[in-house]
Amino acid sequence: MTAPALLAEEFVDWGWIGDNTDTIRELLIEHVWLTAFAVGVGFAIALVLALVSVRWRWLYPPIAGLCGVLYSIPSVALFGLLIPVTGLGFVPAEIALVSYTLLILLRNIVAGLDGVPDAVREAADGMGYEGWRRMLRIDLPLAAPTIIAGLRIATVTTIGLVTVTALVGQGGFGDLINEGLSRQFSTLVVVGSVFSIALAVAFDLGFVALERAVAPWARAGRPPRAGWRERRRG
Amino acid sequence: MLDESTDADPDPAPDSAPPATDGVDEADIAIRLDGLTKRYPGQSAPAVDALDLSIPRGEIVALVGPSGCGKTTTLKMINRLVEPTSGTVWIDGTDARELPAHELRRGIGYVIQQAGLFPHRKVRDNIATVPRLLGWDGDRVRDRVEELSDLLGLERDMLGRYPAALSGGQQQRVGVARALAADPPVLLMDEPYSAVDPIVRARLQDELLDLQKRVRKTIVLVTHDIDEAIKLADRIAILRVGGVLEQVGRPDDLLREPASPFVADFMGDDRGIKRLSLLTVDDVPLRPGPIVAASATPAEARQTMDRTGTDWVGVRDGDRLLGWVAADELNGTATVADAPVKPFRSVIDGGTSLKAALDRIVSSQTRVAVVVDGERYRGMLTVDDLADGIGTAGPMSGSGAR
Repeated sequence: MTAPALLAEEFVDWGWIGDNTDTIRELLIEHVWLTAFAVGVGFAIALVLALVSVRWRWLYPPIAGLCGVLYSIPSVALFGLLIPVTGLGFVPAEIALVSYTLLILLRNIVAGLDGVPDAVREAADGMGYEGWRRMLRIDLPLAAPTIIAGLRIATVTTIGLVTVTALVGQGGFGDLINEGLSRQFSTLVVVGSVFSIALAVAFDLGFVALERAVAPWARAGRPPRAGWRERRRG
Repeated sequence: MLDESTDADPDPAPDSAPPATDGVDEADIAIRLDGLTKRYPGQSAPAVDALDLSIPRGEIVALVGPSGCGKTTTLKMINRLVEPTSGTVWIDGTDARELPAHELRRGIGYVIQQAGLFPHRKVRDNIATVPRLLGWDGDRVRDRVEELSDLLGLERDMLGRYPAALSGGQQQRVGVARALAADPPVLLMDEPYSAVDPIVRARLQDELLDLQKRVRKTIVLVTHDIDEAIKLADRIAILRVGGVLEQVGRPDDLLREPASPFVADFMGDDRGIKRLSLLTVDDVPLRPGPIVAASATPAEARQTMDRTGTDWVGVRDGDRLLGWVAADELNGTATVADAPVKPFRSVIDGGTSLKAALDRIVSSQTRVAVVVDGERYRGMLTVDDLADGIGTAGPMSGSGAR
């Protein structure tokens, strides 16, 4: 075990981590904030777009198409387009990050709403739910697992993308990676990457837990024995 | 013209509004469909065409017909899940359009195929749906949910489960409980039992009849299954493709006197057999049968047998029938009671269906079923009596619409 340990010592300066916990904490907060803001705003926009798409079905292809175009623009090219207008900083970073969340979130919200069984919708209408109340109390809760799955992908993707928005000066752990690359200081690259990945994994697990908490009914159909076996396996 | 009248009397209803009520008192009409028409855009033929139908309070009325006959569309126009192109739905004399649709629907129970329970809500909360929409307070909702679970035979521990953990039959029971939660006077049921297996279906149908005896709702039931309609409905409306009413009447009337070849065909080529299951012993006249007193002599017994053309005679002691004696067992006895008296094995009562009676008749040695009222002998039925019975009798014969 000595050789890898020696290698790691050359590659990663462990002492740097100990000396810079404040910096790491600040970058963590920035990274989370950039991600949360992007996913939050992206979700709000995607929800409106999804509701419009579900209500006026013919609008869905053009809306999804537009989100698809945004999703496909290379981020570096997008910054090139944005910086002359917005300058550097939070705004272009978030415009890029939000743009990339839209397609995933829109598709999952629409798929979730489409997945509500017709019989359930009809029963809700027949019981006397008004349109908006049915959406709030029946359709959206039933779509929740699919929507949360979308949030999970969008969040994990965004956490990765935030390292790229370091290019416009807002990068969380991306700043660390950038700096490490330019100073040829591998410790910063490794620390930035590892923390970014750890953050993504943490959020990923968080969303799995959220999905279970929000939709206990989704597992109600399984026989109890299967649940027991599943717990043991997990 | 459509013939909606259910009784033999010519209907002298005046032509002025309100429209004809089929011999049922205006006050007893819960729902009246008046020239109800639905045209879907892009379709030349209407889905429902100028439908007039009165649904009496407290009755189960089945809308029956082949697919495409507009029966479900008609049902959904009652709670305005489908808005009519023209015509009016009157509910208790009020135009259904007077209330906002969602308020109207909260006052009408609705049961659909596969129950349509909300998967994300526990059974308890599914049942509580409409009371909560109506803003009932928590205690009242809880009491009502418990009352309904008792009424529908749902176990209490089922209330805390999610619908996915329930069987199809249980889900359908919960669906009915949910529909009845706010105690609406009217219940609409759209193919409620078509998604469950035949055994469960038969049980749910029996439960509905039992429930209806207690709650007396006005129930409009859509089904494609004529046997289900015959079993459940007080009245059946047969619709033809294009939403045209072919005939409406009591099940027995439709079986006995189908108004058109379409109705005859739809009711099936075993209408006589179906009537046998619908009618009971009380609907047909009984014959006294070859009966002598226990103290009668063999000569008297032979006279009776000669008169009725049988080779056996029933032995009676007061109101009770002791059994029967075969002709060749009477030789050398002083009274018929001294001969070996065999008990009748096919003993039925007035509530027995004629179908069950037929079964007893053909499986009895004497080819009769003995009808009793407790211990008291009432008469006998033969295959001929059943044939005559379904030819003429019916629960409706001679009486009015009720």
